[in-house]
Amino acid sequence: MNRERTYVAGHALHDYNAISKVKMIEDYKYINTLKEFICSKFPYFMGGFDRQYAKFGDDWASAFNKELEVFFGSDEDRIQSAALGYGAFCLDSMKLQVEFNKTLEYRNKTYAEASSEVYQNRDYMFGLYLPGILISHYLWEHHYVQLKFYEKELIPRIAEISNPLIYDVGVGTGFYTKEYLRRLKSSQVTGFDMSPHSLGHTEMMVERWDFSERYQSRLGDILERDQTEVCDVINSIEVLEHLENPVDFLHGLNSMLRTGGLGFISAAINAPNADHIYLYRNADEVAEQIQTADFTILSQTVDQAYEPRKPGDIVPTNAAFVVTK
Amino acid sequence: MSIIEELQPIFRSVFEDTGLIVTREMSANDVENWDSLNHITLIVEIELHTGLTLTTEDLMNLANVGDFIDMLESKGFIPNGAG
Repeated sequence: MNRERTYVAGHALHDYNAISKVKMIEDYKYINTLKEFICSKFPYFMGGFDRQYAKFGDDWASAFNKELEVFFGSDEDRIQSAALGYGAFCLDSMKLQVEFNKTLEYRNKTYAEASSEVYQNRDYMFGLYLPGILISHYLWEHHYVQLKFYEKELIPRIAEISNPLIYDVGVGTGFYTKEYLRRLKSSQVTGFDMSPHSLGHTEMMVERWDFSERYQSRLGDILERDQTEVCDVINSIEVLEHLENPVDFLHGLNSMLRTGGLGFISAAINAPNADHIYLYRNADEVAEQIQTADFTILSQTVDQAYEPRKPGDIVPTNAAFVVTK
Repeated sequence: MSIIEELQPIFRSVFEDTGLIVTREMSANDVENWDSLNHITLIVEIELHTGLTLTTEDLMNLANVGDFIDMLESKGFIPNGAG
């Protein structure tokens, strides 16, 4: 396995006392509004905000506040709805995690069942799933560490490519689509997804950040795609665990990328969400599949959602890889 | 036996406090270990004990143990020896 370097989670830790003298999390208006809504309904989630701020400081708070400001603005109804969605999403996921720690298996489900229950279910997607995932990019430690890894390990490499064409396969909320468009001013992004609701959410995201002119979307299965145009960068964040056969999908991603292009691929490990089908038990299993699909791994990070409470506890983990072809 | 008395051993086990006295007024702010992970563990253990399935809607707006007990009663839970 070719791993030029392994990213160390927590590199950006700050001294909490130093931060607290300068600013308080309460100084961030939009975070504070969200926090108040979430904690009024789910008081036991209060600690998550303070822990993230203590660990990641004002960089985290500024970025999160901006995200909320641009996407939700001052529309308190939408923030409240997202807060409820996030709380419900976390409760669902954590209940499944407690069950998983006993069975060590995901609930048996086919892709068609997951698709019908989740991806094609507009109420579930817009009411719970998409707001939950969007907010988790900042409130879940391993999701935020993944974003910092992307920023440090991938973006500088892409910056050397002029007018990069980026395919985001499995756009989810559109968070990473937006990140590419925001960070790389000459980039064009095409988002692919099986869910019209994910594509709709992504279009909304891109529009709010005023990047619509550089974005287009494609509904459908990439393995049935008849276009042959290849891209400079392929992105696929936490899609593999949603599939029955992730290796076929990885081969599909590989065929969409030009030789010498870059990729960012991640997967959830031991994380029994309602729509997770393929159980990865460790990061090596993901890396092996990525290499089977003829990618070369340039860099990787493996991060746990939280510290295990006791020896033997299984904790949701995220593995992210910068790859090339 | 009241619901609180019946569930007290579960609270003590989850929060690892053998002397914990559970009251209707008690909330997450009053128990050191009452974070999101232990909250979910508590819910799952209570589901197993009562045979009830608690939905997200059931679990929202619960400010304290009293609200939680009222919710269990509204779903038809009857403590041992009270039926």
